[in-house]
Amino acid sequence: MAGHAAKHDYHLVDPSPWPFVGSVGAFLLAIGAVGNMAGLVSAEHPLAFMYADGSWGGLALGFLIVIWTMIGWWGDMIKESKRGDHTAVVDIGMRYGMILFIASEVMFFVAWFWSFFEYAIFHEVRMDPALATWPPAGVETFNPWHIPLMNTLILLLSGTTVTWAHHALQHDDRKGAITGLIFTVALGMCFTALQVYEYSEAHFAFSMADGGNLYGSTFYMATGFHGAHVVIGTIFLAVCLFRLLAGQMSAKKHFGLEAAAWYWHFVDVVWLFLFAFVYVVYQG
Amino acid sequence: MSADAATHDDHTPSMWDWRRWVLSTNHKDIGTMYLVFAIFAGIIGGGLSGLIRWELMEPGLQVFTGEDTGWGALFGNAHNYNVVTTMHALIMIFFMVMPAMIGGFGNWFVPLMIGAPDMAFPRMNNISFWLLPASFALALMSMFVPGAGADLGFGGGWVLYPPLSTSGHNGPAMDLLILSLHIAGVSSILGAINFITTIFNMRAPGMTIHKMPLFVWSVLVTVFLLLLSLPVLAGALTMLLTDRNFGTAFFAPEGGGDPVMYQHLFWFFGHPEVYILILPGFGIVSHIVSTFSRKPIFGYLGMAYAMVAIGFIGFIVWAHHMYTVGMPVDLKAYFVAATMVIAVPTGIKIFSWIATMWGGSIEFRTPMMWAIGFIFLFTVGGVTGVVLANAGVDQALHDTYYVVAHFHYVLSLGAVFAIFAGWYYWFEKIFGVKYNSFLARAQFFFFFIGANVIFFPQHFLGLNGMPRRYVDYPDAFEFWNAVSSWGYVIMLVGMVLFFAVLIDAMIRRRKADANPWGEGATTLEWTLSSPPPFHQFSELPKIK
Amino acid sequence: MPDLYGEAMRFLTALALTWTTFAAGAFATPGQPTDGALGLQPAVTPIMEDIVSFHNILLVIITVITLFVMGLLIYVMIRYNRKANPTPSKFSHNTLLEVVWTAVPVLILIGIAIPSFPLLYKQDVIPAEIDFTLKATGNQWNWSYEYPDHEVAEYFSNMVEDEDLEPGQLRNLSVDYPLVVPVNATVRLQVTASDVIHNWAMPAFGTKMDAIPGRINEAWFQATQEGVYYGQCSELCGLRHAFMPIEVHVVPQDVFDAWIAAKAEDEYSEAADAIIAEYSAARETRLAQLD
Ligand code: HEA
Ligand code: HEA
Ligand code: CUA
Ligand SMILES: [Cu+2]
Repeated sequence: MAGHAAKHDYHLVDPSPWPFVGSVGAFLLAIGAVGNMAGLVSAEHPLAFMYADGSWGGLALGFLIVIWTMIGWWGDMIKESKRGDHTAVVDIGMRYGMILFIASEVMFFVAWFWSFFEYAIFHEVRMDPALATWPPAGVETFNPWHIPLMNTLILLLSGTTVTWAHHALQHDDRKGAITGLIFTVALGMCFTALQVYEYSEAHFAFSMADGGNLYGSTFYMATGFHGAHVVIGTIFLAVCLFRLLAGQMSAKKHFGLEAAAWYWHFVDVVWLFLFAFVYVVYQG
Repeated sequence: MSADAATHDDHTPSMWDWRRWVLSTNHKDIGTMYLVFAIFAGIIGGGLSGLIRWELMEPGLQVFTGEDTGWGALFGNAHNYNVVTTMHALIMIFFMVMPAMIGGFGNWFVPLMIGAPDMAFPRMNNISFWLLPASFALALMSMFVPGAGADLGFGGGWVLYPPLSTSGHNGPAMDLLILSLHIAGVSSILGAINFITTIFNMRAPGMTIHKMPLFVWSVLVTVFLLLLSLPVLAGALTMLLTDRNFGTAFFAPEGGGDPVMYQHLFWFFGHPEVYILILPGFGIVSHIVSTFSRKPIFGYLGMAYAMVAIGFIGFIVWAHHMYTVGMPVDLKAYFVAATMVIAVPTGIKIFSWIATMWGGSIEFRTPMMWAIGFIFLFTVGGVTGVVLANAGVDQALHDTYYVVAHFHYVLSLGAVFAIFAGWYYWFEKIFGVKYNSFLARAQFFFFFIGANVIFFPQHFLGLNGMPRRYVDYPDAFEFWNAVSSWGYVIMLVGMVLFFAVLIDAMIRRRKADANPWGEGATTLEWTLSSPPPFHQFSELPKIK
Repeated sequence: MPDLYGEAMRFLTALALTWTTFAAGAFATPGQPTDGALGLQPAVTPIMEDIVSFHNILLVIITVITLFVMGLLIYVMIRYNRKANPTPSKFSHNTLLEVVWTAVPVLILIGIAIPSFPLLYKQDVIPAEIDFTLKATGNQWNWSYEYPDHEVAEYFSNMVEDEDLEPGQLRNLSVDYPLVVPVNATVRLQVTASDVIHNWAMPAFGTKMDAIPGRINEAWFQATQEGVYYGQCSELCGLRHAFMPIEVHVVPQDVFDAWIAAKAEDEYSEAADAIIAEYSAARETRLAQLD
């Protein structure tokens, strides 16, 4: 709290509307999603455009509020940072926070890898013989040495460019930092584009409705969640790029960029595991 | 809201200013909101368990008859019985015990005990809280939308096993429940990040990790379990969601999926979760035992590392919930051994509490009575856990009321007793007023007797073969079921007394002292006024 | 308003009944629950015998531990309360004690493990010599059975509804077409499900196996006493989870053979039912004479 006589360096944050607004957003997003997927009201209901089966209204409303919260919340943080609230000890706290957040993300991916390995290794318990082999009958897996290898190289390269940006910034070389970041964001976009292309080439389906099976489920959900993280990481880095251009980062204070870089490395490592196991070891 | 208007550090906003609560960034206010929320959820969860006991009082269908009673089919049919048990469990776990222990007491006392002015991320702290009402609302809504066919709500048990939770429940009720748990999970993960950062980064000068009060240790271990186990649940829930709505085959055998896979993912979360529910209680009880024995806690380091050990082993025993799924026998043998090992660190805790009391000068104030009740009842629940750990016997007891008895001894008589112990230990600190300890002790006795009468006979039912999640049972299970239901009535008197204590304290408003417990109470929160100033430790305390 | 007096009397009668017969044991009818009973159902298979005796050991161990903890608590409450001991001592360490209360539980647990693992392996390893295979499929909400080795076509086994109960049948336990197995035969049980997870559980046999769609689980039993045994679905499977019981008749080999022959003709054969009914009636008269 600015202006009060605390004799410590911790940051006592002012009261804020965002947590409450964000929770309302999360609630609306959830019922919007359920409406869209399963239908909460009939097609005749006055709120059908929001919550009937297949409607996007409720989902959009919730999503907008969540995005609004993010902009407002992180915007406030930037203001507080400028105001000098982020002292050295607060900065350490944010580092802990980011590391722990990434740790929880790692455990989220554990779930997807676990179900992939379960099927890749213990498929023989399946009663249906067509599903008890690896890969399951009718599934033609990707050749890892084409697009996947390409994507691996792209991500590894982007890992170096983001480090370049970071080091440049540490040495007050703004130009180098900006170039490094631009490269990183561009490489991230390349990765996403290639992955979309790869999906379009796949010889196995996602949904059982299209003849898919567990192979498709684990493949698309694991690589898909990874892809989503790449997109989020790219946005995160892009925001850092804009903040850098806006002069909000200095050689001394640029935790936003560091957090984005950590996140990017995490996404990178997840990909290495995907590449090694989903594409190479268990290619069938 | 602008801070320069505050002429004085401790200018506490008015109770009645809605902004104080809705926009809060104050750990004590947020803690209070969590406690109120937990009590509210406890009433609903306890009410639902009343419906269960009412239905099971006699053989045949009493409550969930599906017949028009003249007021309509008030509570629905056997499906709704399953909905009620499912929601009872989820509400008690996610919306009562966790918010009370971690959100409520954790928020209030972790910063106070380590000499910090607030949590590390005060604003994030508030979203951890406000996501809970959002999540709770979704869970409650799910009870009133179609679940299986025309029947309302999700009735597949709190473990949400597919295929019953996928193809077995085609309506939106299950989707609402999945997203409710996702949001509760996000709330807890954010809370976990907040606590770990606070504890690592904001201890007062001199408060080394080995000087931290045991409650702080217990919360630290708990939130690590949350941080590492909840995301796995989130993954499993997401798989349920996509299986239901997007045609994936994770748990659908016709597409190569395996329902047992879900159980592994669920229990990889679910077993650590049960320690999440009890560890903060261990911390609370340690403080109370030491305070009222006027002795330092016996074997502090052993106590702290026993919790670390419990937390660690808690991650490698999950499949003891799955002995009957048809696992390879060697795997079962491993899980038997690993599970039994947990009895060792837990025993260390039990015996260290007793050793703390040994040689002490014990005063039987209200919190101490709950704490001693906890130690004994938790032991009863713990040793039946060791019985269940033996897969050979679990074959007879799995999914019977023996299991129900086991986990209510550790939860409803363990975790809940610890919550009430903490409630009466810190009540005056939190609210700044005294309570009537005669009424509070009476509540203890009604709870102690009532809960034992409810749950002890369930061991007999389980041994004799009564399966759980049954809306109706063969006539030969009548006797002990009737006893169990009468126990509920005894416990209800205790609930009434709980509210009597609250109302009495609210009306009389007798000003509380900073430290009502005397020299035994040594942690930092007792050095502050009751209630503490709005912002404490503007000058950080120094620990010798 | 419930009948309080009746309730209380029933309570006292059952209390007296069970707790006097508890020591004497074996009062309960094998194969079904007994009102007011305190323990496991009587065993009729070697596995269940082992479970019962292992459980008896465990019960003693956990009772002793619990009483020990209770005794310690009572002792400190009396000896070290504020009146009895106004000045607390300040010790907070005793290495020997800490070692003891770590080591002794470890030893107890090892003691538990010694009978535990053999039991587990006995249950889970299907004997090499089996007499025949029985297949049970869980459906919402009944069981269907096959005797693949005897070419009996799949038949469904539904609970007898309350209004159709005949004298001697048990509410929520009796079924229309039960399972029949010969006494002393070693039976391999295969369990699966057609829709959601169910669980084939037979307390008197010590058998409990999940019926999981897409998987076949195996268990085995060898019933050593003739009689009728009841079990219930033990995995939540929806609306009528409480109403899909299991009934097994254990009969002499010749009765079984006759029954199988009739079943092989027609899986819902009335002749087969008659064979079992006739045998049961004869057995009941015999038992009545024995009493
Ligand atoms: C607070 C919650 C909590 C706690 C602390 C525990 C503690 C333990 N639980 Fe429990 N358990 C549940 C909550 C909890 N459980 C729930 C909710 C379920 C059911 C879920 C569902 O299916 O819905 C369950 C089910 C459950 C099962 C599965 C049963 C089945 O479905 O068939 C098993 C099996 O191993 C088990 C074992 C144990 C063990 C070994 C402990 C140990 O940690 C206990 C250790 C404590 C002691 C042993 C007592 C003190 C020690 C001493 C005094 C030392 C000396 C003792 C010895 C040498 C034995 N539990
Ligand atoms: C924390 C967990 C918890 C708690 C407290 C309880 C409390 C109770 N439970 Fe529950 N129960 C479960 C967790 C819990 N239960 C779970 C996990 C299941 C399994 C569900 C499934 O099969 O899927 C279950 C199932 C279950 C069944 C089996 C149903 C079946 O299988 O068909 C029964 C039957 O008697 C039952 C009864 C009761 C009763 C009478 C209480 C009473 O003790 C209730 C009395 C009320 C209270 C003790 C609450 C008081 C607390 C407050 C008011 C809050 C106070 C807060 C502060 C002071 C901050 N419960
Ligand atoms: Cu079938 Cu429960
Ligand atoms: Cu467990």
